[in-house]
Amino acid sequence: MSLKVGIDFGTSNSGVAIYDGGRVRVLPVDPKNVLPEVIKTVLYITKDYRAHLGQEAVETYYRDNVNRQRRYVKQWAGEIEYRGADMFYVRDIFVYVDELKPGRLLQYLKTALRKDNYKGTQIFERYYSVGDLAQTYLSLLKKRAEDVLGETIDAVTLGRPVKFSEAPEQDHKAQETLRQAAHEAGFKEVDFELEPIAAALYYEQSITKPQNVVIFDFGGGTLDIAVMRLGDDKNRKVYASGGVDIAGSDFDRAIIEKRMLSHFGYGKVKHHPEIMQMIDAVPDWMALPEMGTPINKNILDKAIQAKVAPVRLKALEHLIYNDLAFTFYNRIEAGKIALSNEGATIISLEDKDIALWELYTRSQFESDIQHYLVDVEKVLLDTIEKSGLEIRQIDAVVKTGGSSNIPLFTGMLARLFGAEKVKESNAFSSVVAGLAIKAHATSVVE
Amino acid sequence: MSLSTKIDEWMKEAETRPESAVMIVRLIARRLRELTERDEELLAENIALQNGTRVEEYQKRIAHLEYQLDLIKRRFGVDEGTLVELPTQPVEASTLNLLVYNAQGRIFRIELDSDKKELGRITSDMSNDHEPPRILAVPSNEEALLLYTSGRVGTYKVSDIPLIELGGAWEWSQAALPDEPRAGELLACIAPFSRLPLSDFFLQISRRGCAKKTMTSMAQSILGNHYIGKGALQKSDQPFDLMLSRKKDRAVFVTYEGKVIAFDVDDLSYATEERIRLAATDYVIASFITHADDSLLFVTQTGKVIHRESKSIESSKSSTAKGQSLIPPSRLEQGVRFMGAASVRDSDSIAALDVTGRLQILEADSMTGSGSIAVEAWILSIGLIQADGGVKRNSLAKV
Repeated sequence: MSLKVGIDFGTSNSGVAIYDGGRVRVLPVDPKNVLPEVIKTVLYITKDYRAHLGQEAVETYYRDNVNRQRRYVKQWAGEIEYRGADMFYVRDIFVYVDELKPGRLLQYLKTALRKDNYKGTQIFERYYSVGDLAQTYLSLLKKRAEDVLGETIDAVTLGRPVKFSEAPEQDHKAQETLRQAAHEAGFKEVDFELEPIAAALYYEQSITKPQNVVIFDFGGGTLDIAVMRLGDDKNRKVYASGGVDIAGSDFDRAIIEKRMLSHFGYGKVKHHPEIMQMIDAVPDWMALPEMGTPINKNILDKAIQAKVAPVRLKALEHLIYNDLAFTFYNRIEAGKIALSNEGATIISLEDKDIALWELYTRSQFESDIQHYLVDVEKVLLDTIEKSGLEIRQIDAVVKTGGSSNIPLFTGMLARLFGAEKVKESNAFSSVVAGLAIKAHATSVVE
Repeated sequence: MSLSTKIDEWMKEAETRPESAVMIVRLIARRLRELTERDEELLAENIALQNGTRVEEYQKRIAHLEYQLDLIKRRFGVDEGTLVELPTQPVEASTLNLLVYNAQGRIFRIELDSDKKELGRITSDMSNDHEPPRILAVPSNEEALLLYTSGRVGTYKVSDIPLIELGGAWEWSQAALPDEPRAGELLACIAPFSRLPLSDFFLQISRRGCAKKTMTSMAQSILGNHYIGKGALQKSDQPFDLMLSRKKDRAVFVTYEGKVIAFDVDDLSYATEERIRLAATDYVIASFITHADDSLLFVTQTGKVIHRESKSIESSKSSTAKGQSLIPPSRLEQGVRFMGAASVRDSDSIAALDVTGRLQILEADSMTGSGSIAVEAWILSIGLIQADGGVKRNSLAKV
């Protein structure tokens, strides 16, 4: 018998679930993780093109990379043609490559799907398109799920945000790339469901009478909203859906930009454009690893020798050249998560040449992301308006996704709808559980 | 952002949510304690720099490194003159030698020949003071460390010990006596020494199963004072072996009555500690460093060979362990005992000395294959000859 599962391919975390008509089972696909049912959307590809995912990827990355040796070699990358009025010549282009690099860690794979300017990446001798990366991740995830179930999985219902992109053609392209990746990963049949609708299907299991529900799915990459009529199988209705590219990764970036850059020389370095460019790259997880060239190291070393903010630039050098970026982003995220429950937390990173310590309070965080609150509230109200319902006609607001636990947004929901209407669904599993329910429904129909 | 702005923001949080104030105070207090500790460390460092302690420490370290450099130069036959004239003056090639020595400090040096398996015969008494002779294979440019039962040490270049003719009949009186044991002491062992710069510890093992490790950074003081200590707890106990080891190494002890025990060197204490509980009549007859893919060979006095994979011997953490027993009780009753053991690879060889004084070389893989050594008389002692330990005379000529 062919099996159909639901897969939530999330920006930060993913999951696989199966529904048998009576009970949803979220599969423990990452036994090394604290929550085995949640797997980090992280891929680590080693020099021999072996791929690891989830916690295993993180552990392999740490083991092989942090404080490792580097050796840069000049490698021919291509050639460039110069054409002028009466001249034409071709010049070789060389790049410095760290030949001791044991692997590449890739995260935010889903964000890459919707980036118009990001087509793929070179990993050692091979080029991986965005689709190749998604396919590598999905095939490993499929294998993990099959190992748990002891059966082959042939079909999948994949979750997708309401909008991968504001541009319809880019949105369509992202979904088709993901569909193709899923087919190449071995799923014979692939269909999609909007993530907030999946969360609604899961919530529907817990209600006894029809309700007008707002699903507020606020994850790592996007905010997805759906206004629905639930609780009546025959009259289930999506009044409206909406979304915006604001989510957890934007808040992490805001924290880095507003609170962390000074630890790496921001404000102290003024007349060194190359160094300022390196500092500006700190919040950007894609740009920072690219800064690790021998030329940049030379620039930093010279500035440190010249006593230009030596402690801060040494910290910047250590961050870039000792593969501490991943640890750094994780610390920022952990600090952000802690502020959902505490009034203050410490964001710290201590290593050989870094002694970063920052006391960060909830009110500082709220002030740093205040402008996002305005945008989120606007999208939410617009979606409700589009649904034709009045706010008072909403019976429940179901919040799901990691970012939905941020008190600033919980407070906004309570202010708009009343605290008693704001329901909390499982932050990491409700979407995947709903996708499993959808997968079961479509497989039965077929 | 200035600190005062940050403090204002923290105050704002405390005012908005008074329950956060406790958390903020706690986090700042913790940071203050960390910074105070760090400040104290820096002050102590400053004092050490000002009063010269740190300078002395660095001077000692430099002296130690210079000593190690000197050792390396001696090992590779390089002196200041050769350094200058290196391109024109060929360095004398090193050959693989076998040292056969007894407790009286007598040492035969034999240059190994790739074609000869029968090395010769010692015709005089084989077990003075009930200690069988010991065998050690070393390159001729090696530095040897002699450890005496009093805890005294001395170093000698192997090449300074006169060679003895291969294939002859030898008397102990013909053997070299580079440093005669003093009254009441015996030669406990000879250890190759030039790997000192690449090692982390001296590891001493006593006859009754005590172990002591000493950091190699102490080498200058040990060699300057010619004393490393006995490394034994009881008066009646004596040093048995000394070896250089690294942190991640695994050491194995083998006893006369067939007990085997392994330890991670990193877990061993710097103080002398009993690492295996031995019966009154038992004592250590072999100790060595082993690697995961090595085979362990145990040889009984009748030439039987017991073969085990290195990883089959579990590392013990306890100091009260009795070890793994490899000789069954019935065999023990019949008088079967171990005379030697070694950690080998297939391409290695073993030098075996029997009670008639015959010294011969056997291939390790043939020993593991047949399960015994073809000997005319009881085995007294064995010594490992590593395949990559050095170049034998004839093969050097062929090269």
